[in-house]
Amino acid sequence: MEVYTIRLLEYESKEIFSDYNIPLADRLVIVKGEDIEEKINQFNFPAIIKSQIAVGSRKKRGLIKIAQTRDEALSMCTEFFSRKVGEYGVEAILIEGLADIKHEYYCSIALDSSGRRFVLIASAEGGIDIEEVAATRPEAIIKQNISLTEGLSEIAAKGVAEKLGFSGENLDLAIDLFMKLWCITTEKEAQLVEINPLVLTPSGLVAVDGKMTLDDNAAFRQELIVKLRKRKLTELEKTAQRVGFSFVELDGEIGILANGAGLTMALLDVLAQHGLAGMNFLDVGGGASKERVYEALKLIYTMNPKAVLINIYGGITRCDIVAEAILQTMKEFPNAPPMVIRLTGTREAEGVAILKNAGIDAYQDMMDAVGKLKEVMC
Amino acid sequence: MYITEDSKVVVQGITGNQGKFHTQLMLEYGTNVIAGVTPKKGGQEVLGVPVFNTVQEAVNEYGVDTSIIFVPARFTYGAVLESLEAGVNMTCIITEGVPVIDMVRLVETAKTKKLHLIGPNTPGMLIPDKIKLGIMPGDMAHFGDVAVIAKSGTLSYEITKALGNADVGVSAYIGIGGDPVRGKTLTEAFDYYVKDQGTKVIVLIGEIGGDDEEKVAQYIKNQKVSKPVVAYIAGKSAPEGKRMGHAGAIISGNVGTAQGKIDALESVGGKVTETPWDIPEAVKTYL
Repeated sequence: MEVYTIRLLEYESKEIFSDYNIPLADRLVIVKGEDIEEKINQFNFPAIIKSQIAVGSRKKRGLIKIAQTRDEALSMCTEFFSRKVGEYGVEAILIEGLADIKHEYYCSIALDSSGRRFVLIASAEGGIDIEEVAATRPEAIIKQNISLTEGLSEIAAKGVAEKLGFSGENLDLAIDLFMKLWCITTEKEAQLVEINPLVLTPSGLVAVDGKMTLDDNAAFRQELIVKLRKRKLTELEKTAQRVGFSFVELDGEIGILANGAGLTMALLDVLAQHGLAGMNFLDVGGGASKERVYEALKLIYTMNPKAVLINIYGGITRCDIVAEAILQTMKEFPNAPPMVIRLTGTREAEGVAILKNAGIDAYQDMMDAVGKLKEVMC
Repeated sequence: MYITEDSKVVVQGITGNQGKFHTQLMLEYGTNVIAGVTPKKGGQEVLGVPVFNTVQEAVNEYGVDTSIIFVPARFTYGAVLESLEAGVNMTCIITEGVPVIDMVRLVETAKTKKLHLIGPNTPGMLIPDKIKLGIMPGDMAHFGDVAVIAKSGTLSYEITKALGNADVGVSAYIGIGGDPVRGKTLTEAFDYYVKDQGTKVIVLIGEIGGDDEEKVAQYIKNQKVSKPVVAYIAGKSAPEGKRMGHAGAIISGNVGTAQGKIDALESVGGKVTETPWDIPEAVKTYL
């Protein structure tokens, strides 16, 4: 359940690249809803037409094509905007001039989270099969660790560029490019800035593809993140984000409200072992307020679950606050589906008493609650 | 040394709601909370604990060696840096949502100064019946010789309580935190308890994503660890997560699934249980 990163589409990454003067091919962006014909009249063809959609393998899915003429481009754009892959639609189309490719490279700066550092990664064998290169011939991948305190030094960048085989003018271009990638990483708080392929043309280096992910936790000081974070979510997930808990829609029929990602996942695993399936993953988060629990329950009700399972092990979360939120919701939704509650941890006695006074039982053991849920679902 | 019964604790952010609430619980547990820090609120008292403007003042006055952080995410970098610069041995970051770049910087600084960081987004550490440095329930288990090391908070409460209910004592409970970049990695915490003489068995609580569990398996193999390891991995039924482009896969290889982690740990002799409640029985076979 990756909740820490925001993925940019190619054209959004390239807007940032452009701000940092990273060389790009001539390009034109058509956002969904704009007049396609009017826009492409400004562009020369042949050109490459790329769907901007939050899924990988766009080439294999036929979402990237070359248009020889303006008419061909027009019909491709119209077709692309009607395409869907799973829940994702094409949000924009990027049209780019064709690069005269002499060689394809790979380069990126990425967070190595277990190493707790950033790494500059490059290879002279760029293109879409870079993962296979990494798996089968790791020696073809060059890695350079970067200290945040010291930054990426020009000497280190030069070392990587030389290992890629660059010399003369192109060596300077490559060093300059790596330094710019590092600036983007620190200034935009990226966890990944990737160019694959980075193409050598007769006129120098060109970033033909671009990929970035940003750190959601930095939203308080990065306006761009706030702007982008709302985009990829379903309506329910947007509500969850606004109120402040993590939420993922699943395929089952039992509404789940729990605290802690690990415990919520373990709960879903245990349910699966008993032939029960959750309708959602909902981690109400640490130190949940009454309002947050109330909003979470309301959100679960809107999904029409057959039953609701609440599983709280309070640490920083207080059982009494959770119990009060449950009561408030029950008053407002008298016809809500059956609810099984497990409540333990910080302020457990107070929480259980609040529910008991209202005639509601709460279990202290999770397996007892799962047993009760099985009865309810029969 | 991470913490002991005698650790002298300062609470950073003691005047906030969470800071105050958990200071009270830590005091009730018997933790030696001797100072608090909130900028511009020096001179006050919270629950009888004196408040200082800076960590340095608390170090000068009382020789505090341990800090616990309850300040909001946007101020966490400054608060932790202050603790490191004052030479505090262990800083435990409870705060959720700390930007990754801040944590990478803090980890670099802590390494240079040879000081310990734990978290962020961690429940903290507990030595049952001796010291509670964190927000976990204090009554999960009594003191004993099984260390619990966890990525996840509440799930580890569940398992530690199950150990307590089964009359298995715990030498230490440590949550490394749920964020991508942490002060202590799973392997570093594991290494500490492999070397800890008071620990006979290590319980490892992992979950899908990242490669921490695989790294521990590698460590067990390389260091020929003979101390028994019992583990539970959450997320077996989770739908396949999203991957972070190609670079993530290049750094860590194709790892991160529950089955991959289970296989890695079992291949080096770890015992991985089917449910969280099977842990106590599995641990008992080694005691």
